[in-house]
Amino acid sequence: MTPEKPNRWRALRTTLTAVVVLVAYILAYRGSFVASDTPIDLRRLFSVELWSKGGPLLRDFLTPDLVDREIQPVTLQLPVPVPCGSAENGVPATTGPRLVPSVPCAAPRDKFRVEGFELQPDTELQLRWRLPSGQYFPGPFITTDADGHFSAEFEARPIVATKDGVPGQIEVELQVEVGAVKLSRAFFDVLDGVIVTIFMALIATAAAVVVAAPLSFLAAQNVTRRGRVGTAVYYLVRTVFNILRSFEAIVIATLFAFWVDFGPFAGVLALTVVTIASLGKLFSEAVEGIDPGPVEALTATGANRLQVVWFAIVPQIVPNFVSFIIYHWDINVRISTIIGYVGGGGIGYYLAQMINTGQDNKAGTAIWAIVLVVWAMDFISAEVRKRYT
Amino acid sequence: MLEVQHLHKVYPNGTRALTDVSFQVEDGEFLVVIGLSGSGKSTLLRCINRLIEPTQGKILWDGTDVTAASGAELRGIRRQIGMIFQQFNLVKRSSVLTNVLAGRLGYVGTAGSLAGVWSSADRASAVRALERVGLAEKAQSRADALSGGQQQRVAIARALMQNPKLILADEPVASLDPVLSHSILQYLEQLNREEKITVICSLHFLDLVHRYATRVIALKDGEVVFTGLPQEIDKARFKEIYGEDAIEVKAGLSA
Ligand SMILES: Nc1ncnc2c1ncn2[C@@H]1O[C@H](COP(=O)(O)OP(=O)(O)O)[C@@H](O)[C@H]1O
Ligand SMILES: [Mg+2]
Repeated sequence: MTPEKPNRWRALRTTLTAVVVLVAYILAYRGSFVASDTPIDLRRLFSVELWSKGGPLLRDFLTPDLVDREIQPVTLQLPVPVPCGSAENGVPATTGPRLVPSVPCAAPRDKFRVEGFELQPDTELQLRWRLPSGQYFPGPFITTDADGHFSAEFEARPIVATKDGVPGQIEVELQVEVGAVKLSRAFFDVLDGVIVTIFMALIATAAAVVVAAPLSFLAAQNVTRRGRVGTAVYYLVRTVFNILRSFEAIVIATLFAFWVDFGPFAGVLALTVVTIASLGKLFSEAVEGIDPGPVEALTATGANRLQVVWFAIVPQIVPNFVSFIIYHWDINVRISTIIGYVGGGGIGYYLAQMINTGQDNKAGTAIWAIVLVVWAMDFISAEVRKRYT
Repeated sequence: MLEVQHLHKVYPNGTRALTDVSFQVEDGEFLVVIGLSGSGKSTLLRCINRLIEPTQGKILWDGTDVTAASGAELRGIRRQIGMIFQQFNLVKRSSVLTNVLAGRLGYVGTAGSLAGVWSSADRASAVRALERVGLAEKAQSRADALSGGQQQRVAIARALMQNPKLILADEPVASLDPVLSHSILQYLEQLNREEKITVICSLHFLDLVHRYATRVIALKDGEVVFTGLPQEIDKARFKEIYGEDAIEVKAGLSA
């Protein structure tokens, strides 16, 4: 009668297994789409090349994006008169982040080198010409090396010219981290997602209780199965529960998606239906498992059927009901994560988006959040059930 | 007055629990039903308030045909008949007071009672009923925190809330110690004598029968094999009711 024995580590184990499966899935997905003409080439699943990417992917997952520092754009500039003599030459700095051209000035269409020093390492930047008018011309993309250095060829544009004695400048925009370390954007997005998922599960569970609790009495032999009408109702409700229970939440979610847009609403609706079926069965079994003595005693006092249910049955089933409800909320958090993954919103949806756009660190944040939430819900639900029964 | 006429009960599985049972109970009697277990005592008591549907026969309560009643009429009859069970049948997780108030359910509206609203008169009489069985200070305890004897006294208080004219007691002391047996039966005897409540009670031990019964009927395999005064049950009658191999055992500690 009581739900599955709670095991504190079961949830963690299940989630970690899910992470491994997810990594395999992403590898297979990316492998088959990126590198092959045929949409899905299963042979690639077994290629060494593909699986060698598993390492970095796993590393990204294990180093979630949790904190970052405030970023401020900083523009490095250096005047380079075109043509020479049209304005004063710029003097490059000798320390700190700086741009150093190979010539102090240039004629139109001249090619020269620009070097950068002490910039952010391993970063892609764009060189450009800033005109005296404020407009700019984009130049080449460059990537700094591990020391924050680059060297690139740059061309003096024919139209670039000094105007009213003000020279054009070569320029690069840097993203400089300033200020204290703070929780990252991804952290708050994930927190949002987690809250949405927990609430989706809560709403679905609550809605299901409202429907399943009364119906469960109709599906209980000892309450309903009396006379022809009662027996018919009993079998009808039972059959509905059984049919609904044979569907997976995700299948129902997909069915609902044809009807309402695929999103949190379809997800909650699907989850509600599945929970009604499951709670309905658990509830009605709890009702059937009561001590019939008090029912007999209160019937004998002349109480009517509703009074008997309320006074003799309800007090007996409250602990069971509470425990089933919490247990299901816990389960629903997991299911709504999965429904979210295929489009139902919440943390699952966030995870899917991050994976599909290759932001694996952020996907890692989401995965850790899911592990944590699932484990915490499992723990809390086990504790509450222990206390209440 | 209660009249049972040619009562038959055959369970759906074919067991013939009662066969052509007829007897009368005058107001104010303390009628004890005896018989081996399986002889049909529980079935008989439950047919009287229709917790079990008789297969055939008639039960008249003060001229009303109990067997023909249904719905509100049946509930109206039931609320005049208190019932006490071997297993006490209290709602264990509810408070003692709620259990006692539940005896009033046949008299109050559905909506109010479901909302937990009780009149001050009902509350007052619940407290009085608990005082009567000596458990006033236990009103707020959970029913399952009480001992067996105390629970049976709560059950009596619950029956009292019905203002019953008749109390059916199905082996009310079979789960209790002999000392407690007497205390429970004395409460019933007191109600019988002081409030003129008719009592129909099934019992196991003959010494208890002799002590409390004003009249006895004996069942054997669903048939009435004896009706009479307790002192008329001699050795021969005893063997007739309980079988050749039976020996009389006493509950003991006669009060
Ligand atoms: N619900 C039932 N279904 C079938 N047979 C029953 C049922 N209840 C009682 N019986 C049978 O009816 C007979 C009388 O039982 P019961 O009235 O409980 O006797 P007692 O109370 O004297 O022990 C027994 O043979 C018992 O097995
Ligand atoms: Mg019995």
